[in-house]
Parts: sequence; structure tokens; C-alpha cells
Amino acid sequence: MIVARPAEADAAAPPGSARASARDVVLRAEDVRKTFRLGFFRKRVEAVRGISFTVERGEIFGFLGPNGAGKTTTLKMLMGLIFPTSGRVEALGRGVPDRAAKRRIGYLPETPYFYEYLTPEEFLDFAGALCDVPASARRRRADQLLARVGLDHARGRPLRKFSKGMLQRIGIAQALMGDPDVVVLDEPMTGLDPLGRKDVRDLILELGREGKTVLYSTHILPDVEMTCDRVAIVVGGRLRSVGRLASLLSARVLSTEIVLRPAPGHAGNGAGSPPGEVAGIPALPPGARRLPGEGDVALELPAGADVDAFLRAAQAGGAVIVSVTPRRESLEDLFVREAQEKRES
Amino acid sequence: MRRVAAVARNTFREAARNKILYSLLFFALALIASALALGQLSVHEERRMIRDVGLFGVDVFSVLIAIFVGVNLLYKELALKTVYTILPKPIARWEFVLGKWLGVMATLVAQIVVMGVAVAVTSWFEGGAEAVDAPLVKALWLLLMNVAIVTSVAMLFSSFSSPFLSGLFSLGVFVVGRSVPDVRALSDRIGDGTGRILSAGCAVLPNLHLFTPSGTAIGGQYVTVHAAPFVGASYLAWTSLYAIGYSAVVLGLAMLIFRRRDFV
Repeated sequence: MIVARPAEADAAAPPGSARASARDVVLRAEDVRKTFRLGFFRKRVEAVRGISFTVERGEIFGFLGPNGAGKTTTLKMLMGLIFPTSGRVEALGRGVPDRAAKRRIGYLPETPYFYEYLTPEEFLDFAGALCDVPASARRRRADQLLARVGLDHARGRPLRKFSKGMLQRIGIAQALMGDPDVVVLDEPMTGLDPLGRKDVRDLILELGREGKTVLYSTHILPDVEMTCDRVAIVVGGRLRSVGRLASLLSARVLSTEIVLRPAPGHAGNGAGSPPGEVAGIPALPPGARRLPGEGDVALELPAGADVDAFLRAAQAGGAVIVSVTPRRESLEDLFVREAQEKRES
Repeated sequence: MRRVAAVARNTFREAARNKILYSLLFFALALIASALALGQLSVHEERRMIRDVGLFGVDVFSVLIAIFVGVNLLYKELALKTVYTILPKPIARWEFVLGKWLGVMATLVAQIVVMGVAVAVTSWFEGGAEAVDAPLVKALWLLLMNVAIVTSVAMLFSSFSSPFLSGLFSLGVFVVGRSVPDVRALSDRIGDGTGRILSAGCAVLPNLHLFTPSGTAIGGQYVTVHAAPFVGASYLAWTSLYAIGYSAVVLGLAMLIFRRRDFV
């Protein structure tokens, strides 16, 4: 199903939470479209096809989508780098671009490029001057940010000698130079090693705790699950889902993973059993399968299988139930489902 | 103005760390120094030779530097995507273009001062203190005004074209601009449609001949950079106004193009 504006799947925020009361919108896209004309024959390419969403004050918002989904184009429209073909984008209640709004927004572009002849100190000083930070405060702020992103040791080195990960860090530092209320990061984890990714993830959470609004695009789903209050999924230039993760992910059980320890006389016989049969374990219901592994027997029962009856039968046969884990939809399942639905449609 | 100054400072810093510009400056200084040797070859015209060759060096190299820096200025920002980091900050696009232009002009002022000092030193070497006179300073000022226009033109082309094409166009405008009196005379002689086209071209293109008036007549007076007063204050004032006005119009066009551009 393709919808121009999916209904927000917002569950009520926990009562008393600071974010529950903060409902004012800081970024808004309303039926935004962007069509590029490429090549000699000015071929039309629709990069964004009517996207609408809002980002509320104080939340960490994940903007997800596969490569070429239109994430970067949408963020660039929010930053005033690209003009929408139609629709409206607003930042802090003002039409984009607006200088007063830009003063309160920090932005990290995708795979950022900087003036390679500058040192980090010079670059942050330049970024601070553009953000109207007084000269007296720029040095102090640059020192703080260099320490925060772990580049203290490289302050005198020209940016041309920086690794990709270091460039990403200095990019984040320049986005924070104006002490913005809203931070927009386009693929901030790109090019980072696992430690670097964790640092950026921690930084995003820290910014959230400081009360800043963070919007970031990515396709690294575990990071999103760990950091985001809400997410939007974009596929093929269209918004497929938007809302709180808990609401977007189906509560339905997709399958149940059961680990059993067979009765003592049967232990070790399971591995050679024919498919669908495990020694000392009741017959598997249709669609169930044994998961690979040694020792205890791990099984996966499909959705709809009578788990209770199976477990009773197993216990009656002398097996010990080690664990029962219902598997619900993950963000990755949702992401793949949305992408597949788009492909099929 | 703080943001414009920040962009200008950064542009100047970029030029100051560009080795190619130092190479061009080195060649200019070598040419100016060679005027001393050329002066020795002439008979009783040493001072004239030194000044002519020196000012020729300043003229050619300042224009080359203006075109080289001007055509790369905006294009590089787009090609290297550095503009993606700058424009989301609270700076208007026109401020960015103006800052870039001011940064190049600061670079050119520094280069012309260095080359001018070199010309003065070679002149002093040959003719003593009196060889460093007001006409020399006036000629250098006019060359600075000349490159103000050339830089603006180069930036206009660079706002929508590649550096190679922008360089070619800018060089074309410079060559035709320097030949405006000749083109005007030609258009008067031809008279018909072609003449009118040439005449219209002269009206649109900058009259860069104004900035090298030595050896021509101004207001019925023959002027030469080798004899005081060369040109008067009023000539300097109105040619400077012309340069600033023309640059402002051309920069305004570059700003308009830059204003509506998508940075994909």
C-alpha cells in the first residue's frame, strides 16, 4: 500500500516524560516533492514524491531508507540547499531558508568535505563566525567541541591529513559550533568503525538528554533502535511509515523459539533424526523447524502454532523446557517489509 | 558583515596557502626583475623600459591570477561540496558570493602590492628615489580596478560553468574589453548590422582600456605613465566608480544565479 501521508503511529508517550509534553514542531515537511531534470534530454527524475512529516522539539528522530530513497534530498530541502518542486518545508516555524531559524540549526552533510587547508581550530573558528558566535567565545567553544568529539590530539593538523572517521567527527563538531537547538545529521555513522559509531550514538543520546532535537538519517538499524524516539521510513521517494518504534513494529508474534533439553535416555540422538522429528521431543507441528546447534534442541514454531500444547507434550515426554522466546517484528523486518511492498507495488 | 568578513578571510587564507599562486607571483617578480637587464639593452631609456616591463608584468599576472582564482572560486565550492557545510549556516547566499569576491580582491591587493614594490625597487635601483613617483602608484591603482572587474566577470561565469569554459570566457571578455576603442572604431567604419552588433557588444562588455590609458589622449591631453601628472584625481575617481559599479552589476548577476541554484 502506498500512501502520500501515512497516519502517524504515535503511541502515547510515558506520562510525566519531558518529551510527552513537548509537542511543538521544529521541523515540518508538507507534501514535499522534488523532481530533477537530468542529462542532455532533461529526463525527469522524481527523487521525492510527496513526503510529509514533522519533528517535534526534544525528540531524536530517525530518518530511514535504503540508498536512493530520497533521504538526503529531503534533508537538503529542510536545510535550504535544494528548493522543493512543490510542497512546503519549515524550520522552527519559518519557511526555509530563514536566517533566524538557521542560527538555531546545526547540520552535518552526508560524506562531508571541508576546506582541507584549514586546521580543526581554524575550521571551527570559521564555522563559529558564520554562526554569529562572538570571537571571544569561539576559541573556548572550539576547544570544548574538539575534546567532545575526540579530536583534541589533532587540533593543529590540516584537515587534508584527516581520516574519514576524523572528518566525520570534525563535521559533527562544526554542526554544534553555534550551540544549536536542532541538530540535523545526514548519515553520521558513515565511515566510522564500531567504536566511532558508538561514540556518535552516545553523542546523539547526550544531545537528546541536553534537550536538543536531533534528526538523523541512516540505514544502520540497530543504531536507530537504540537512539530514536520516532522514525520515518522512506522508500522510493515516498514516506512509508512514521511514528514511534513501538507502535510501528507489529506486536504480533512472528514465531516462537523454544529450547528443550530432551529426556536423559534420548540426549544426543536428535541430530541424526529425520527432518521434523527429534528424538525425545514430540512431533513438530507443520511449519516448525529445528535450528542448528549442538546439545539442547532449539526449535522454531511458526506463528499460529499451538505452543502450549507442544510444550505440554514435551514435558509429558520428559523433556525440560530451557527457554521460550516469542519473536516479534524488528525494525529490520519492518524495513524489509516496507521495501518489499514498494517493490511489489 | 561579520559573516561576509569570515568568508573573505577564509578565501584569502585559501589563496595564501595555494602554491600555484606563489608560482605565478614568482614568475611576475622574475619578469619585473628582468626589466633591469632589458633596461641595460636600451639606449638612454632604462627608466622607461623598467617601468613599462614592470607594469606589463603586474598587469598580465594580476589578470591571470584574477581569472585563475575567480573561475575556480565558486566551482570548487560546488565540486568539493564544501558549500553544503557553509550555506545551511545563517549566511545568505549573496553574502557568501560577496565574501568570496572580497577575499579574492584582498588576495589581489596583496599580490599587486608585492609586485608594485618590486617595480618600485627596480625603478629605484636604476633611477634613484625620484623614479618612484605618483604616476607609478596611479598606474598600479588602475590595474587594481581593472582586476576588480575581471574577477567579477570570472565569478559570474564560474557560477554556472566549468572552470575551463569560465576561464576561456573571462579571457575573451578581458581581450575584447581591452580593445573596446578599436572595436568601436571598427563598428563605426562597418556601420551596418554587424557594426551595430559590435557597438552593442562594446556597450555591454567592460571598457578595460580605461585602466591602461598611458600613451593615449584624455580630454585632449596626451597622458603617459612616464611623466607626471599622468592622470588626474577626477579620472581616477570616475574610473574607480566605473569599476566598482560594473563589478557590482556583474556580481549581482552571479548572486542571482547562485540564489536559485540547487546544491544537489
